[in-house]
Amino acid sequence: MTDPPPLPIDRPEALERIGGDEAFLNELLGLYDEEYASKSADLAAAIEAGDTDRIRSLGHGLKGSSANLSLSRLREAAWAMEKAGQEKDLEAARTVLRRLEEEYRALKAYLG
Amino acid sequence: MSPKPTAPLQVLIADDDPVSARLLTRSIESWELEAVAVRNGEEAWKALQNPRFRLALLDWEMPEADGLEVCRRVRAAAGKRYTFIILLTSRDKSEDIIAGLEAGADDYMVKPVKIQELKARLQSGRRIIDLEDRLLRSQKRLFELATKDGLTKLWNRRTILQFLEDELSHGERAGTATSLIMIDVDNFKTINDTCGHQAGDKVLATLSSRLQKQVRPYDRIGRYGGDEILIVLPNCGLSHAAGIAERLRRDAIRKPARFGGQTLGFTLSIGVSSTEDRARPTADKIIQAGDLALYEAKRLGRDRVVRFEPEPARRKGSPPCPRP
Repeated sequence: MTDPPPLPIDRPEALERIGGDEAFLNELLGLYDEEYASKSADLAAAIEAGDTDRIRSLGHGLKGSSANLSLSRLREAAWAMEKAGQEKDLEAARTVLRRLEEEYRALKAYLG
Repeated sequence: MSPKPTAPLQVLIADDDPVSARLLTRSIESWELEAVAVRNGEEAWKALQNPRFRLALLDWEMPEADGLEVCRRVRAAAGKRYTFIILLTSRDKSEDIIAGLEAGADDYMVKPVKIQELKARLQSGRRIIDLEDRLLRSQKRLFELATKDGLTKLWNRRTILQFLEDELSHGERAGTATSLIMIDVDNFKTINDTCGHQAGDKVLATLSSRLQKQVRPYDRIGRYGGDEILIVLPNCGLSHAAGIAERLRRDAIRKPARFGGQTLGFTLSIGVSSTEDRARPTADKIIQAGDLALYEAKRLGRDRVVRFEPEPARRKGSPPCPRP
């Protein structure tokens, strides 16, 4: 028996964390979009440049933002990115970047 | 002690993640605290130079000096007021927590931060800050009680004598003269006897506040005895000090003191002495010399400044001051 894959966002959990304010959650998700756009572009550049330290730090940052909003699948992928950077594994980083993009698309689709 | 209305506490948030920074800022503002967010460790360190930030939330992992580094700098600088620091991190291993606390963090929270928990932890930080403020206030009050004269708000006898000792040894090292001005209210007993002791007190308080406004910022002024006031003048020779004394005297007596409906005119006798031309001046000798000059001022008819001369100019009909 395996658990079903988690939803892109655990909305109730995220809402509980911020005190139940829907509008505020949407504002934070807007901030997340900007953050994601800039970090994923930076990640692509860092992978191109082979800057594993930067990859680690960007992955770490994205992990934090994702965790704050209970985006558990994106958080998992960001954590994998942080680890790839730490282990100086550029091949893994490339794979994880594709996974991140997929998870982000899934989130956007889910939120509609 | 009555509770003082306090300005809202200011919280510094240092977090490079805009989602987290916004979340923290808004939550903190909803608890009627003020929040300011910065994006990296250097900015945090710069902001924390401002003592208005008593509480700080520092993300561990930040660009340009991480939270740990900022913690260490804050503690090494040990500012006048304490900053309560909560370190935020995704690291939750025991050795990380220990490293955070050893760097000087007061508390530690694992991200993502649970807002209600943050609220409770900020409250406990606030208790520490309040406690520290109360402690500083009572320390200040105790210092005043121990060093100031209650009536005149001048330094008390013990403290002004200590200043004199300190200045004498400093002046000896630096090769500069230290002078002393000793001021006595003329016929003070008469004021007390005819107008009452409260009137006498008022004369002293008025005189003190006038003198305090006129002395140089680095001069020290204290109440030596009942109606005797002593001023220690660092890096100041005898004639200079006598000039200052004369100016102080004229300014202080220009207007009478007022008590109830009464106007209380008064005059001053002043003795001035200095370490000039003394090989190893002691506080006792300088005070004794000032005293003798003051006595001479009284003897010559009060309401004047007399400087102590080691070889006093002999005036017709007045015996020389004995040398101390």
